[in-house]
Amino acid sequence: MKEALVIIPALNEERSVGNVVRSILSSCPMVDVIVISDGSTDQTAIVAREAGAKVVELPVNLGIGGAMQTGYLYAWRAGYHYAIQIDADGQHDPADLPKLLDEMGRGDADMIVGSRYVERTAYRSSASRRVGMVMLATLIRMAVGYPIKDTTSGYRIVNHKTIELFSRFYPHDYPEVEVLVLLHRHRLRIREVAVEMKERQAGRSSITMMRSAYYMFKVSLAILLEVMRGKEARREGKS
Amino acid sequence: MIIDLVGFLVSLIFLIVVIDLMRRRLLLEQYALFWLGMGIVLTILSVSPGLLNRVAKVLGIYYAPSLLFLVGFLFMLGTMLHLTVVLSRLTNRTVRLTQELGMLKSQLEMADHRTALTERSEPLSNG
Repeated sequence: MKEALVIIPALNEERSVGNVVRSILSSCPMVDVIVISDGSTDQTAIVAREAGAKVVELPVNLGIGGAMQTGYLYAWRAGYHYAIQIDADGQHDPADLPKLLDEMGRGDADMIVGSRYVERTAYRSSASRRVGMVMLATLIRMAVGYPIKDTTSGYRIVNHKTIELFSRFYPHDYPEVEVLVLLHRHRLRIREVAVEMKERQAGRSSITMMRSAYYMFKVSLAILLEVMRGKEARREGKS
Repeated sequence: MIIDLVGFLVSLIFLIVVIDLMRRRLLLEQYALFWLGMGIVLTILSVSPGLLNRVAKVLGIYYAPSLLFLVGFLFMLGTMLHLTVVLSRLTNRTVRLTQELGMLKSQLEMADHRTALTERSEPLSNG
């Protein structure tokens, strides 16, 4: 078994999941890849298996949070040191994986976010989207006490402490932002590292214009609730 | 008055339906308690309009039957809140069950795969 597990949640991504798995395995041979097929009705599981990934097929659709947590549960039980989450739509560049693993190896963070905004990268987005991002970044800064620029990035690496936490608690929907406060609440450290982000190869963002207001409300509420839950006591004995 | 009789009959039928659902195990006791309580309160109030009037007077409600609506409304509110709590708990359980099932399936497939491989290679190594 390798030391790190790459988790790819996928819902009907047969067109892109094969390429994503292959490019991860070729650009970073020191990881295992697991694809969580979240109730897919197409060939996602078969394509992923043929590309060389482990596959867990969920019999019903759980949504992004439930699918992602399945990967963390798997990583925790199999005893992986690190877990990396990456989207199946091809917008995250596997070439950044060794960089993320290296940064994690320094041991000064429990989660590292692959961020679009830390350095100037090729990524561009719409104005309304940038406004939303800034609002979320401000909220997160107030909640955790230090700045995290790219709060919605789904390109992340975590260590075994965080894997254990995620196997117990993981938000059901729109988990990225909420997770930041969850980690802070459990006294785990977050750091950002610049990565390249591409346009998606296939599929659409789960956040359409119609849903963005609901998204902002839901995420803000989730942050508020996380803050209200208060800080967890430091758990002694566990490394 | 005919409305008293109708009220009584409706409450009684409601109570009978609830008990029958419990008897046929279509309604778990823990959730039926709400409906049972509501049925009993409604029945008592409908057989004794005097009680309803007195309680309404104590609370300062001029039109006694509106007390019925108030009680019914609060009951609904409580029940619906309770239902969404139950639903949330069920959702969490379904998610965990689905995750476990998915992982078991994947383990089983890997085990089958390994068995198939060893069965195929055994005759070769023996012969």
